[in-house]
Order: sequence, then structure tokens, then C-alpha cells
Amino acid sequence: MQKSIIVIDDDDAVLLSVNKILSKAGFHVETFEDGVSGLEGVIELKPDLVVVDLKMPGLSGMEVINRVSEMDPYIIIVVITGYATIDTAVEAIKSGAYDFLPKPFSPDELRVIVNRGLEHRQLLQESHRLEIERELLKRQFVTLVSHQLKTPLVAVHQYLDTLKQLGDTPDTASKRQDWLERCLKRTDEVLAIIKDWLTLSKVESGSLTGEILRVDLKPIILNTMEANADMAAEQGITLEAELPADEYPVKGDRNCLAVLFDNLMVNAIKYNKPEGRVSVSVKAQDHQIVVAVADTGIGIPEKYRQALFDEFFRVKGQSSDQTTGTGLGLVIYNTTTTEMGGTIEVESELDIGSTFRVSLPAYHEKADQEEENRSTT
Amino acid sequence: MTSGAKKILIVDDDTDFVEAVSSFLESKDYSVFKAHDGQEALKLAKMEHPDLVIMDVMMTERTEGFFVIQEIRRTPDLAKVPVIVLSSLWSSDTDFKIAPGSDWLGHDKFLPKPVDMSELLDEIRLCINDDSNTGKSEDKEEAES
Repeated sequence: MQKSIIVIDDDDAVLLSVNKILSKAGFHVETFEDGVSGLEGVIELKPDLVVVDLKMPGLSGMEVINRVSEMDPYIIIVVITGYATIDTAVEAIKSGAYDFLPKPFSPDELRVIVNRGLEHRQLLQESHRLEIERELLKRQFVTLVSHQLKTPLVAVHQYLDTLKQLGDTPDTASKRQDWLERCLKRTDEVLAIIKDWLTLSKVESGSLTGEILRVDLKPIILNTMEANADMAAEQGITLEAELPADEYPVKGDRNCLAVLFDNLMVNAIKYNKPEGRVSVSVKAQDHQIVVAVADTGIGIPEKYRQALFDEFFRVKGQSSDQTTGTGLGLVIYNTTTTEMGGTIEVESELDIGSTFRVSLPAYHEKADQEEENRSTT
Repeated sequence: MTSGAKKILIVDDDTDFVEAVSSFLESKDYSVFKAHDGQEALKLAKMEHPDLVIMDVMMTERTEGFFVIQEIRRTPDLAKVPVIVLSSLWSSDTDFKIAPGSDWLGHDKFLPKPVDMSELLDEIRLCINDDSNTGKSEDKEEAES
């Protein structure tokens, strides 16, 4: 889109030459001989940039600067001024002008300063847009969190209120224990959401991952299987692993990887069917190491698969009704995996099972070791 | 439960909420039917012809509850059933700018969550009496109870 520029100067000769230079450079230019009509032009045209002479009879250039920045702080103002008024030019910048050009100036000097000003405007607008976007996301996040926190608290409140209203009767005595159990479960839900939320908020203050180093996957996977063996046995689920004879080292953060695989395995057990199977495999593919965690569970409907990595998403369905989760887990693991230079993908077939595939950058003994040495010296 | 007990259909996707509120209503001698999604709610409503429906408008799908109300209003047998609408997000800044008393919501009453049980009970008595007795005499009955 053609950029528009307004030039305000009481000197006809300056107006004429500035108009000529800038029009030739491809801008839409309008000129005004005094501050008042110049301001009216700014209101009407909403230009990208204003060139204004500081010393004018009537409404001063300084006044024009103040009015324009008040009207729209994203309009760039370039001041042109006689050599004698350089102090005033500095004053003008303090009140919002972008830069100043002492008279006399060459066409090149004018073009350079105008182009730089317009680039600056684009940056300003861009960061303004990002700010609005972030504000919107934040508001959306707050709504979601309050809903997620409120739902379990409402349930607890309602149980307690009912217990209070009913008083001691034989009927409530039998239900009381059950209801208290449910209240505890629902408050745990709130606590878990808060814990995940705090972890996630660290993303904003920095990175979730620590130092990226050589990590051997085999011991981590074997540990995870051992740690979850009891839980799997309780539900009659078989854990199996297909690990390569050689170690395939990856580049990553050991703790993050341990937590990631532990959670993928817990999910695979939790969302499985009784007597189901969880299989873990490790394969090298191009320069990536791919770890797949597959279950024989309820599967994830296609429309939900991408949303899995969105905040607060949890697949709702009859078979997962008893399962609780905060919906933040996968968001966190997706963030840490991306930070390590990897990806998480999901493949799923309803009633047959889901496979989570984590690809991580392979550690190359020679090249990566040299790099590590370089960065430590 | 007596055969003359008034029937209430309660709809909410949170099973604990339904359990707590329905237990309270049963203790007040209402006959309570429970549904956890819109489809189940419509099926039960058409089968049982409740005297009153209590429903959260924001279930799994954000507008599910509103569609259920719309469907109830379109069903001749159910068109006049009072509906008490619940929402934990009910505030001035929600997306739902449907005013109580607007055409397709009829005489509905909105209550915020968590629900104050005695307030709910008052509303239920008002709604059910209103429906079975078109005169204005229930104001006095209300004062007695």
C-alpha cells in the first residue's frame, strides 16, 4: 500500500522541493502552509508520517507535534528546523517527534530519514498488534482457568451445602462417606490444576528446559517402566519395550525427558482397556531418534487430536469419565519437547489405541562433543 | 416417593453436581430425573414430562444447553415447562446476551453456580406453583410456607 506523508511548512520553496523528492520516491504527499490546516489534513488523511517545520507563524510546530501524538501515537513525526533552533529540535523529540533534519538538507538525507521513520512505524504497529494479541490470549486463559477451577469447587460446595441442609438422617449417614471422598477428589483436581498452571507460567519467565546435553534414552525408559509396573499390574496391563541393542543418544534435558516419558506411559496405562498393552519402541530415523509409546486404549477422536496440545483440553467420553486430568500436561510436554528441538505427534484409532511419537535430535558423537567442548571453554 | 410428587429433570455434565443437588431435592420429596448431556436430557424430558427442568447452559459444547431449551420449547407437550437455567460463567461479560423473558426462553429463571439450595427451592416452588395455578393467590401460600 502507498504510504502517505503530510508536509507542513510556511516556506513555499521547502514545500515544493520536499513534495517533489517524496512523490518521486513513491509516496502520496500532501502539503500545508500552516499548523491549523496541517492538523486538519492529518485528521482527514491519517498519514503514516508528518514532516513539520518547527518555526511557523500561528500554530507552532511544537504544538502540531503535541496534537498529532495525542491523536495517534503511531504517526511518525519528522521535524525540519533551521540550524539555530537545534535545542528546540531536541525538545521536539522529547515530546514525541521521531527525528529531526537540520536545514538545509539533501534529497538523500530526507529520503533516508523518512524511510527509517516508516520502518520504525511498522515496528511500533507490529509490537502493538502483538501486545493486543497477548492480552487477548491472557484474558482467554484467565476465563478458562477460572472455569476449570470453578467446576470442581462448585461440586464440593454443592455436596457440603446438601450435607448441611439435610442434617443428620439415616439416609445422609450412608452417603456422607461417599460424598466426602468425592469432595477430596475434586479438591485434588483443583490442586493439580494450580500445580500445572504454575509450571506453565514458568514458560513466560524463561525456559522450562535446562542445559541440553547428551542423554541416553534406554535407562530413562527402563526406569519409567519399572516405576509404573505396579500401576500397570493392578489394571492387568502388560508393559513391553522394543529397545535397540546399541544406545541411541539424543540431545535434550534429562529431567524433562524423564517426566515426559513417565507421563506418556501413565496416560497410556490410564486410558487403556483392561488387559491391554503398552509398548515402547526406540528407532533411529534420519537425524532423529523416535520414541513411540503405543496403547491399546479407547483412542482419540480425530477432531480432538490437534486440540490435545491446547491448554485445558481433555477428551470427554464415557470410558474416560472416571479419569481425571488437568488438561495442561501435554501442553507442558509439547513446550519442553519443542525447546529441545523435537516434536510430539499422535496417531490414534478409536477403540484400537493411540500412539504418541516423540522425535528428538540425535546426538552425534563427534560434532556435538566438539560443540560442547567449545561452549565450555 | 408418592405418585403425586412433582417431577424435576436436572441436567449438568458434572456428575457430582447432579448427585448433590438431586439428593437435596429428593429430600424435599421431589421425584428427580438426572441427565448429563443434552441428548439424554431431551430423551428424559419427552419420556417423563417433568414439571420443571433445571439445567446448566454450558455443558461440553458451549451452547448445548440453549439448544436443549429451544428444542423443549418447540415440543408441544413440553413447551410450557418452566426451565431454571444455571451457569457458573453467568456474568455481564458472557457471550450469551439472551435476556431472561426473551421469546425462546419463555419464563426462565437464571441462577448462578454454586447454587444456594434454599434459593433454588424457593424458585422451584414459585415456578411449579405458577404453572399449575395461573392466579396470583400463591403469594399468600408462599408467605405461609
